[in-house]
This record gives sequence, C-alpha cells and structure tokens, in this order.
Amino acid sequence: MGLLVLARERLMRCFVGTILCLTSALQAQTAPPSSAPFREKQIPREAGFRVFIVPDMEGMGSAVDIREVIAGNEGERYKELTSPDYWDRFRLLLTREVNATIRGARSAGARSFVVNEGHGGNLFANVLPWELDSSAILVRGFPKPLVMVTGIDSSFGTLMFTGAHANAGSPGVLAHNFAFDSFTVNGNILNEVGINALIAGELGVSVSLVSGDDVLIAETQKIVPSGFVAIVTKRAVGRSAAITYSPAKVRRMLQAGAAEAVRRERRGDFKPFTMARPYRVEFKLRQTYPDSIVQAVAGLQEFKLERKGDRHFSYVTDSARQMGWLLDAIEEAVLR
Amino acid sequence: MKPAIMAAVLAVPGPAWSQGQVARDTMPRDTTPPAAAFGVTEYRLARQKLEQDMQRGGFSVYIIADMEGLAGAVRNQTEMRPVSRGGSPQHERFRQELTDEVNALITGARAAGATQFIVNEGHGGTLFRNVLVDRLDPEAILIRGYPKPIVMSTGMNPMVDAMMIVGAHANAGSPGIISHNFAFDSFTVNGKVLNEAGIAAFIGGEMGVPLGLASGDDVLTAETREMLGPIETVTVKTAFSRSAAAVLPPATVHRTLRQAAARAVRRVKTGELKPLKLQKPYRVRFCLRRSFTEDEWVRKTVGRLEGVADGASPGCFVYTSNSAEEVGNLLNEVEWTVLKP
Repeated sequence: MGLLVLARERLMRCFVGTILCLTSALQAQTAPPSSAPFREKQIPREAGFRVFIVPDMEGMGSAVDIREVIAGNEGERYKELTSPDYWDRFRLLLTREVNATIRGARSAGARSFVVNEGHGGNLFANVLPWELDSSAILVRGFPKPLVMVTGIDSSFGTLMFTGAHANAGSPGVLAHNFAFDSFTVNGNILNEVGINALIAGELGVSVSLVSGDDVLIAETQKIVPSGFVAIVTKRAVGRSAAITYSPAKVRRMLQAGAAEAVRRERRGDFKPFTMARPYRVEFKLRQTYPDSIVQAVAGLQEFKLERKGDRHFSYVTDSARQMGWLLDAIEEAVLR
Repeated sequence: MKPAIMAAVLAVPGPAWSQGQVARDTMPRDTTPPAAAFGVTEYRLARQKLEQDMQRGGFSVYIIADMEGLAGAVRNQTEMRPVSRGGSPQHERFRQELTDEVNALITGARAAGATQFIVNEGHGGTLFRNVLVDRLDPEAILIRGYPKPIVMSTGMNPMVDAMMIVGAHANAGSPGIISHNFAFDSFTVNGKVLNEAGIAAFIGGEMGVPLGLASGDDVLTAETREMLGPIETVTVKTAFSRSAAAVLPPATVHRTLRQAAARAVRRVKTGELKPLKLQKPYRVRFCLRRSFTEDEWVRKTVGRLEGVADGASPGCFVYTSNSAEEVGNLLNEVEWTVLKP
C-alpha cells in the first residue's frame, strides 16, 4: 500500500522538533479520523456484473525499486525516493495493467468496474484518469474511510487485487503491511490482501484474482484457502530486484486471468473470505516508528484498543468494516 | 558514496538511522552484513527461480547489459547516471540506446535460431534499472534491481546456451572509456587477468556456457579477445581518453550487432566457441580500488568475509574456491560492502 513510507516524513519532522512532538503526543485523545463523516457514502449503483479492482504498485510487472512507485511530492524527504522519469513510466504501466484486467473481465461478461487506488504514492493518485478504461469509476485520493476497499458494498460480484506485494518480513519485492510489523485476526497472519479480503468477505464479496510477485502469491494462497486466479508478475531475487517479464506479457496474463476469474466467480468457484466472530485482532506497529505515532494510535478512543506491549495492541470487534475504519485511523495518525 | 539503504525502508524495519531522523552527513555507516541483506547471497535461489522460467530445448541467450561501452557514450557523470543519482537528463537517451542495442542482439540471435532471451541489467548507475521495460523485445525476460545475487551473472545456469555482453567497458587500469572492474584495481584467477566480461565468462564457463559476443570500445574488444580468444566482438568507438572517443553512428552499430549476434549463435551451435574453463581450485587474487583501500572499515570488512585472507599488500586479498559461482558471490559481497544503495 505504500503509505508507511509517508510516515517517514512525519518521523523526520518529529526528530527535528523532538520536544514539540513529545508534548503533542502526551496530550490525551487522538482526534477521530477525518474520513469518519464519509463512512456511509456509496458508489452509484450500476447494472450488470460488478468488479471491484484494487491496483497496488509494488507487485506490478517490472517494478522493483521504491523510486519507481513514489512520486516525490509526498514530502520533503520523498524527493530523494523518487525519480520522475521512473514513476511517470510506471504509473502509465499501472494504468495499462488495470485496463488489461478490465478488458479481460468484460470479455467474460462483467459490465461495471470500480477501481480503487491501493497505492499511497502521490497520496493514492497513481492511475492516469485520462488513460483509464472509460467505463471505470476511479476512487482516488487520501484519506478515505476503508483505505484499500473504500466504496465496496454487497452489490459487487467479485474483488481483484493487482500489483499486490508480500507481507512485512517476507522475502518479496518491497514487502510490507500497512503500518505493521505483524497483523493477525483470530491468530491468522494476514497480509494486505488478506485484511481487505476479510472486509469484503463480510459483505459476501469474494476474491477472484491476485497478481504480484511469486512470494506474495504463495503466501496469499495460504491465507485465502478457497483460492483465486493467481498471476505471478515477477520472481523476487532481492527486496529490490526481480526476474521480470515484458509489460505486454504481464498485460496478456492479466487479461486472460481476469476473464477466467469472472467465469469461475460466476460459476461459484470462490467463497467469500470469512472468519468466526468476534474478530480478535492483534497488531504490532512498526518498530521503526517513533513513540509519538504509537501514542497517537493508543489515543484512538473510538476503537477501545487494548495495549499489550510497547507497540503491541489488541482489538476485538464484530465488524470487519470497523476494522477497516481503524486502518484508516492508524494511517491518519501516522501522517497527522 | 551514499550510505543509506533507502530502498529497504519501505519494506523492513531497518536500522534506526535509516529512518530519516539523522542528517545525511552525520549518518553512521550502514554495517548490514551481506548475509543479512536479501538479494546479496541468495544466488542459488535466484538460479532456481530463473530455471523455472526457462524453456527446455531451444537455444537460450543470456545478455548482460552494461552502459559504458554503448555507441556514443563517453562521459560518466552526465550519461551514465540519472538526475536522481547525481547525473543528468541525458542519461535517459542512453537508456534508449541501451534498449536498442539489446534489441539488436536479440533480433540477430533470433535470426540464427535462438529461441529464448534473458537480459540481466549490468550497470549500477541507476541501481541496475536502465533498460526501458516497455521498449525491450517483449519475449525477453529482464532481471533488474539491486541488490541481486552475483550482480552481472544473476540466475546464470547450465540451461543457458550462450552469453553476450553489450555496452561493456575496458578493465581497471586499461586506457578505455570509463574503464573499471567492479570494486577492484585488479582481479585475477590462477594468475589470469579478468575484466568484467572475463569474470562473467568464468562464472558461466564453469556451467558450460561460452561468452559468444562482447561489444564496447576498441580497448575492451582487444583485451577481451586476448582473454577469451576469438569470440565475436563489436567495436563501437575508438577511445582517445577515458572520456573521449571517435564514435560510430548508432544505426551502424545496431546493424553490426545484429550480424555479430547471429554469427555468435551459429559459432556456439557448431561448437567453435567454447566455455572458459580454468583449473580448480581457483586461486583468486584481488586488490580493492585505491579509494576503498584507504577506507579502513571497508578494508577490514572485506577481510572478514568468509574464506578471504590478507594478500601481499593492504587492500589486496586472496581467496581459494572450487566454485566459480561462489567466486561470483564473493565479488557480490564485496560490491555490497563498498557500494550500498
């Protein structure tokens, strides 16, 4: 998802003015997330089979380096983590990957497409609206109530993740997981795909396609047992290095994969990803975050988090959707 | 030298200083050991992963794509690095030239019956991301990024039929354009001097894969023939200093590359071009570049790498092994020590 990069900006400012940050962190309650008033908004209904697509960038074809997925305008620090000639090329390739996915899904009968930016570079605005398939609705910008699945509802026939990356600590290209070093629900380790699949699963929407590097695919097949169409876009040989294929080949694989995904979804091959309630969520914020961010998360009154260790929190809820709101609250706390 | 592993910050909880709270000039040195950095030492994993993507039968060509020896290129600072790494926008034009020259090799090799193409990024100025991914021949597999195991020979395996190196440069100390050799002032195996093309030929040679073609300036092509015998060479420019040359028109170079690549494939098929085999055990002697030798931390860290012993003078080391692949990985660990992203 990439937003944790943005945390570094905040972090730097904190260290520049340490005293100021500590002071504000000690003040009691963290403000509620600014996306809260928008939680009940819905995307206009459309007729026909609906596909919800979440494009991320770290797992897309050819991408291996952070400079290829960061725009450089996220803050002073990010100027060094980008290279416009690279990011610009990759946002066009990203848009073409999404278009290939839509083409494939359409060929199998899908008629309505929502694309929700899943990557935090350029503050969730990487897809080029003018180049995107003209039948798609695009959700872009930050903050947004359910981050990677903002706007999803039970009217969608299926959910697809493109360009996804492996979990924090996995040996995959640019591997990470939101703001966490680890995240489990009822004891099950979840990566970003797993977390969002659970939110969608509660609404009865199942995952039919996942694309990313070989490490992401292998770990997600363990997380989501009912399966999905898997597209290996590259094989990781380092955290920032991979065996890659032509973007044209990756687009062909996505197009064919999306068609197969819709056909199998309509046949009932995939099941919504669900877990027993209540959900017992445990997460550890990244060790690399400063205390001020930990304090801000600890101060999120709305969610009644239990603090089990320095960075270790637990949270019990009957609603995966609320867990999604918590994710946004944490992202906002990290960035505020 | 840039000390931070910024690329890793997104992914893993790195050392505290890499998080941006310390000003760049006061950053302590990154002392991540090679064994702890994913992509430096996983050379067997990389090989297995590439083998999964390779076709059985057919004829596979493994192309190492460097930049100093490209048509037209003479100046390191402006032409070899992008703006984001202290270079200039002119670099972008040479990324296109690199892609054109690689495509020329693929076209030529295909005409002579080659059926699979693996391109391994060999130029570090952009952290091994130079080829324009959407303009490369769509059938090619491209290995890109850094760190990756055995930098210039990532994933090399016995299923490859022939290697080629394009845009190559002359050895450290040779009077060629931007001449150098990894992090070394000298590198020999059993007393034989090897440049970067020679080291690739040595690693692939042990697996039975010959280097069929090398292109670069006149100094590179002459020294590589001396090292490896009469392989196909394409001279794209005549060096007049380390940063001046008489350059041939790029279109001429592309045509010559196509023809030479076709000849190389044919000569490998007939068995005329043979893999470089050296006698085991390999006795490797290398001296670090002088600027690195003056750095005590680098000197000591390299001296502590497994199997490495001090050589005749400070900054020089000896290493003995029965595996060229392991020699390649040692070289990669030295690169990681001196050249973190």
